[in-house]
Amino acid sequence: MQEFVEFTLGGVAYGMIYAAIGLSLVLIWRGTRILNYSQGGMAMFTTYVALIVINHTGNYWEGFGAALASGLVLGAVIERAVVRRIENKPPLNAVIVTIGLLIFLEGLAGIIYGGQFRSFPPAFSIVGLTLGSTALGISRTDVFTAAAVLAAALLLAALFQFTAVGLRLRATAFAPNVARLLGIRIGRVLTLGWALAGLIGALAGVLVTPSTFLYPNSMDSIFVLGFTAAVIGGLESPVGAVVGGLVLGVVLNLAGGYLGSDLVSLFGLAALMLVLMVRPSGLFSTTAVRQV
Amino acid sequence: MSEAAALAVQDVIAGYGGAPVLDGVSILVKPATITAVLGANGAGKTTLLRTITGLVRPRQGRITVDGVNLARRPPEAVARAGVAHVPEGQGVITELTVEENLRLGALLRSGRKSRAAALAESYQRFGVLAERRHRAAGTLSGGERQILVIARALMARPRVLLLDEPSLGLAPRIVAQVMELVSGLREESGLTVLLVEQNARSALSIADRGIVLNLGKVVADDAAAELLTDVGLRRHYLGF
Repeated sequence: MQEFVEFTLGGVAYGMIYAAIGLSLVLIWRGTRILNYSQGGMAMFTTYVALIVINHTGNYWEGFGAALASGLVLGAVIERAVVRRIENKPPLNAVIVTIGLLIFLEGLAGIIYGGQFRSFPPAFSIVGLTLGSTALGISRTDVFTAAAVLAAALLLAALFQFTAVGLRLRATAFAPNVARLLGIRIGRVLTLGWALAGLIGALAGVLVTPSTFLYPNSMDSIFVLGFTAAVIGGLESPVGAVVGGLVLGVVLNLAGGYLGSDLVSLFGLAALMLVLMVRPSGLFSTTAVRQV
Repeated sequence: MSEAAALAVQDVIAGYGGAPVLDGVSILVKPATITAVLGANGAGKTTLLRTITGLVRPRQGRITVDGVNLARRPPEAVARAGVAHVPEGQGVITELTVEENLRLGALLRSGRKSRAAALAESYQRFGVLAERRHRAAGTLSGGERQILVIARALMARPRVLLLDEPSLGLAPRIVAQVMELVSGLREESGLTVLLVEQNARSALSIADRGIVLNLGKVVADDAAAELLTDVGLRRHYLGF
């Protein structure tokens, strides 16, 4: 039983990271109908920014803030400079461009920072917490990870639900032409959407990297799992991305714990296939699926 | 020509590639009047509204609102210049609640107080929307949706309201209510309305002026009462 609790709680921490990546993908998908394959590359790049600031100042939180700020800027710049040129073009254009962006960012990171593996400091202690004499299988850093993503998700939900900016974002996502007729400058709204996605991706990057290493391709596998989380939840649904990430994190951690860590990737793909076969629109999506 | 007009369209050529849908269209809409734009399917009525609001870029011509040229400006700029467009098929954002749809209309107003006042005013005028304020707009009936989009358009206090087929798909009783509502807007707030309608008799019953389009050209432009009595025109172009 103790093992089960440990694996489950550990899975929650990983799941929140998948949720963050999933959330960033959902933010962009809802606004532009583009699946941003470069999201992992963006997160990797902003984590390098954080590492440089931390190494320079010796202060983790300055690096953390720098990652979030650079994520915000990177998202906005990519939307204005690259994505705006392919909006309303065939979907394949967006696939090619975002994969191209991923290759560009990973190549650029290799040129600037080199290809070697670098360790990234955690926010807090990674020593496992205990309840009395019982090990919980999670550390303060895991608790921080879960709390940070949860806080980001709640702030985003509040932004969407209770502010004029959120209303503009939702209107643009659901009916861009109607939004334009109501005077909403959808170009600015889409830039904001990409900026927010860049910020959430940057958060995922600094949260996951202490448990892996930082190198130009370090976010590739995390992106795949974040994408799986978003698909499980339904690409339309921010709540779905969070729940999808949590479910995926717990399932993969249980599978890894009981059956061996080699099977984690296999289980991730199996979960993705299962959802695509049983409910292709995801668990929380209200979009109808049609046969073509 | 445009000095006395709330809205003036001058020699506009526009379309979707290939042959133009609007071929040198000129119309003039005086302030605080209702002008009905009539004609058969494919005459260019909807394209005219889409061109005025910037959804279709004109190849040639001027479109002025209170003397300001808005031709080739994007839809958001046209909306900010005081032109509200209620598109064909209603344009309700079904995923949002009734209140959120209304709040969207008020975003062009500056200040929270002004927006709250607009919302309160709208609920006072349209009781049915107040009753359903927290319901998803997608759950409303066709008539309620039509009222919602008109109410939403009014939230921004537009100078010119463009209505595209507001009677489409509605029961005759509801059509009469919608027409009464549009007529009341001119009386109460001095709004200038350009009303595109297939239901010519209904539109002319509330309009001051009527314009008939055929194959992208203006074939008649006269007082509504005159058009109603022109038997030849009615038979040829209006179908009644």
